[in-house]
Amino acid sequence: MADALPSPGDPEENRDPVDSKKKSRESNPAMRSTPDTRMQDAKASKEGAGVVGMSVADLNAYYGTFKAVTDVSMEIQANKVTALIGPSGCGKSTFIRCLNRMHEVISGAYAEGKVTLGDQDIYAKDTDPVTIRRRVGMVFQKPNPFSKSIYENVAWGARINGYKGDMDELVERSLKQAALWDEVKDKLKKSGYDLSGGQQQRLCIARTLAVEPEVILMDEPASALDPVSTQKIEDTMEELKQSYTVVIVTHNMQQAARISDYTGFFFIENMGDPGRLWEFDETEKMFSNPDRKETEDYVTGRFG
Amino acid sequence: MPRETFQQELDALLAEVLDFGGEVEGTLENMVRAMEERDAALAEKELGVDVSYKVRGAEIDEECMILQARQAPVARDLRLLYTVQAVSNHLVRSGTLTEHICHALVDTAECERNEDLEATLVEMARTAKRLFHEGLDIFRDRDIDRAKDLQAADDKVDLLYSEAMNLIANPSDGSAGDPEWRMRAALMVHYLERIADHGVDIGGRTVFLVTGERIESAMQQYINRDLREE
Repeated sequence: MADALPSPGDPEENRDPVDSKKKSRESNPAMRSTPDTRMQDAKASKEGAGVVGMSVADLNAYYGTFKAVTDVSMEIQANKVTALIGPSGCGKSTFIRCLNRMHEVISGAYAEGKVTLGDQDIYAKDTDPVTIRRRVGMVFQKPNPFSKSIYENVAWGARINGYKGDMDELVERSLKQAALWDEVKDKLKKSGYDLSGGQQQRLCIARTLAVEPEVILMDEPASALDPVSTQKIEDTMEELKQSYTVVIVTHNMQQAARISDYTGFFFIENMGDPGRLWEFDETEKMFSNPDRKETEDYVTGRFG
Repeated sequence: MPRETFQQELDALLAEVLDFGGEVEGTLENMVRAMEERDAALAEKELGVDVSYKVRGAEIDEECMILQARQAPVARDLRLLYTVQAVSNHLVRSGTLTEHICHALVDTAECERNEDLEATLVEMARTAKRLFHEGLDIFRDRDIDRAKDLQAADDKVDLLYSEAMNLIANPSDGSAGDPEWRMRAALMVHYLERIADHGVDIGGRTVFLVTGERIESAMQQYINRDLREE
């Protein structure tokens, strides 16, 4: 399936708006690599820093007979933040949920194509989706702490995954990585519900980190938060990318511009069509001089 | 269209800069005419205009800053604000230089002049005015092909610059003109070269505004040209 990815200069590439970006691909390591080098890069990355990227080739996502996302190919670089932007209903959240096999938990929903995590095909027949969801953690739009203590919220996932190490140390480390430790270290036995919305979201990030994933997916993690909490989440992401690969869906364009290294713009050309990855490039380029008019119209707020 | 208010603010800002450009061009035209006709009274009318130009430039700067703070522009909007600020700065500088030339024309009205040097100065002033006008036209029309031609046209100003400097440094016997006039002519030559450069750069900024890319290669070619051949 990986061979289906068009290589630079492939005559087929002009068919796809994203793949026609030969120039972008040449200037962008995420789009320049061939399937073979990508795999080597991912492997080298895993062996080197212990962090892996993801590779998506010709992904289609369906809800029953409705095709929600079509022909998405994308390289998600290790140790980088990749932001996904685009109008509502263009398939961003559907796409991100395909990255850890969460999409298929909805009745009738399924995905086609190839998604690799490091060198593992996450849609291979012998791949256990539960293992993938542990390796690719997810933080949702609305904070959803468990009805348990702050400590247990963080420890729970690790415990059911059979963590045998020092749990106190794991909880402290995860809360520190999520920039929440200083605010909760004296009240770890209190309920997660006692925290503010922004703190609850960081608790959910700590909970995700505690199971030691390799990739973290965030679906509009700060959309329901005030500016101070949002800033804390954004600061957390800058820290997280030192140790993880991060993919974030956001409607806040300035947030994407501030925190991400790469940006993908999803778009639907006509009502009822499936969403496509319309343009994908370094964030700097996407917000200063994107190649496509629709991207420019969207990032400048002229869309519609 | 979404962001209608922001678009109106950008349109108003652009209109303001073009109007400002027209005003500076007016001063430039009067300066050239004063030089052509040895009309010190006309030159004198332009004395002090640079104060109002600096105020106008500061107002445009402030408007750009407010729009950046309030509207968080990106892509073409950000390029427009960035370009408007640069163009406005070129207009202020050109206005000031033109006013300096008018000052020199007034101060040296009674001086004896060298005809060849004066003719070169007038030719240089006309060329600078033309390049400046062309730069503003390119910016108004967003015509980037003409911007590339403008880069090349700047060479004529450099040739005239060399010719004028040669006449100043090596005056012919008996018709050198007053030393004060020659000294002020050297400054005017320099100012005119700068005004032409501002015009050319306004055109170059338009390339960035439209494409997001700088005409650095053209500039580099220009900088690296072999001066010995000229």
